Amino acid sequence: MEETIKYTPLHDWHLMHGANMGSFAGYDMPMWYKGGAKEEHLSVILSAGLFDTSHMAVISVKGKGAFDLLQRCFSRDLAWGKKDGKDASMTGKCVYGVFLNDSGGVIDDAIVYGVAPSDYLVVVNAGNGEKLASHLRIHAGTHPVDIEDHTDKLGKMDLQGPLAGRILQDAGAFSGMDIREMNYFTFKGHFLGNVSGPSINGIPVLLSRTGYTGEFGFEVFMKKEAMPAIWQSIIDAGEKWHILPCGLAARDSLRTGAVLPLSHQDIGDWLFLNHPWTFALPFDKGKKGFTKPFIGKDALESNMRTHSHVTYPFAGFDLRKVTTSKAPSVFTKDGKKIGNVLTCVTDMAIGRHDRTIISIAEKNTPQHIAIKGLSCGFLKSEVPLKPMDMVTLDDGSRKIDVEIRADLRPHRTARHSMDKMMVS
Amino acid sequence: MKEINELILPNDLFYTEAHEWAKTEKNSVKIGITDYAQDQLGDIVFVELPQVGDTFEKGSVFGSLESVKAVSEIYMPVSGKVTAINTALADSPELVNQDPYAAWIIEISPTDLSETDTLMKKDAYLKQLKG
Repeated sequence: MEETIKYTPLHDWHLMHGANMGSFAGYDMPMWYKGGAKEEHLSVILSAGLFDTSHMAVISVKGKGAFDLLQRCFSRDLAWGKKDGKDASMTGKCVYGVFLNDSGGVIDDAIVYGVAPSDYLVVVNAGNGEKLASHLRIHAGTHPVDIEDHTDKLGKMDLQGPLAGRILQDAGAFSGMDIREMNYFTFKGHFLGNVSGPSINGIPVLLSRTGYTGEFGFEVFMKKEAMPAIWQSIIDAGEKWHILPCGLAARDSLRTGAVLPLSHQDIGDWLFLNHPWTFALPFDKGKKGFTKPFIGKDALESNMRTHSHVTYPFAGFDLRKVTTSKAPSVFTKDGKKIGNVLTCVTDMAIGRHDRTIISIAEKNTPQHIAIKGLSCGFLKSEVPLKPMDMVTLDDGSRKIDVEIRADLRPHRTARHSMDKMMVS
Repeated sequence: MKEINELILPNDLFYTEAHEWAKTEKNSVKIGITDYAQDQLGDIVFVELPQVGDTFEKGSVFGSLESVKAVSEIYMPVSGKVTAINTALADSPELVNQDPYAAWIIEISPTDLSETDTLMKKDAYLKQLKG
């Protein structure tokens, strides 16, 4: 079947600015621009980068049954406020989690936005809007919920990096707002303009303290037709802060260094157990059970004790990587095959000082250490490993030794406060 | 991404289907990758080189170029013995992006110089790129 290639509202801009384009989830997307992916990756660590992410899908879930539906389908407990006798509403908050099928496999990962107690937005990966919308419709049954897939009807861009706040301020986005309230994983405003909130060029936007790079920054949602003008305003405001437009290659290396999974590569249609992302599950305090029922719960619970595959982050000792399209395997030092590689990229912002990983973001990096990048990613092992264990990755044409790590790129800024990031 | 008419393709080089170039000099051949190849690969961050004295058959892999995007093997345009490697690429792999024709990768002593007859000249290579 021949598929039609889709374009975002910024496609002409990307071509005019020399982007190297490639296909991603059916969309013709910028992989990198003229300066290259390395410079883009570093700009997000040191200044700011702007990503066209309007290929991602947004679904609205509204109505009296909306909260219950999401609480039943989404992997996070959205009712955490209830226990203090407060309103259960998560209005103004964003929550990262996954939608599982009955077998405990991942349909997609997502961020759920609480617009109002009976009004939510669900942001999923490119190409998954209709799939998730129909999953939700099936589980809504006859409950009073209105589900709408906004795929290709909205614009979205991610402004990421330590200077992102100052750039948005210069773009006028914060006028009349108390920006100190923009905590990590909260949002303000709406692209419909029906609430007071941030705007750029007089156009209302939904602005959230989220992103997928591990660095301080924002996702900006707007109506599709407003996107080119807003993109240009942010690029113009960011010029003096050395902003760079960034493609999907930098996004992939940044998210990997930040230990964030790529859906259908690092997580997917297999049991969502034993991985670095257990925070996305509603574990109770003892981590033995869950705080709520949800789709996939039974499958996870019945396999929790016996499931032996574990996904781990790893880091190499220089920037050489293995090629994931060659299906690389994982071997122990004595040559026993124990698993496979899910992601392997180079994080160009990190290097090593013996077995410690250091970042160019560190102010006190030892002078004699040249940071040239390290290969890193995720592997799935059939046997338990622990941090600092050494394994060998082999893609058939190259072998590299890597180390299991609890974390990858240090000194990430995503959780820093607005106060901290707005002072120079 | 460069348009085909923006690509630099010198007249005095031989080209391969895998986007290497070969330049014949008296008794040696210098080998590198084309402007098209470097543009497709993007940032080259590491060059894996053979050792002087290694011999390779035409079409076999003699090294690799690591870009942010991928690891790409580089193939011998003609058979021969490596007589020199461009050591500057060890510290500055980006030279391949900056000027892929000045940034030669290896120099070889060819086994049989007539093997260059099987390589493409600029026009044929350009035709391949245009598809």
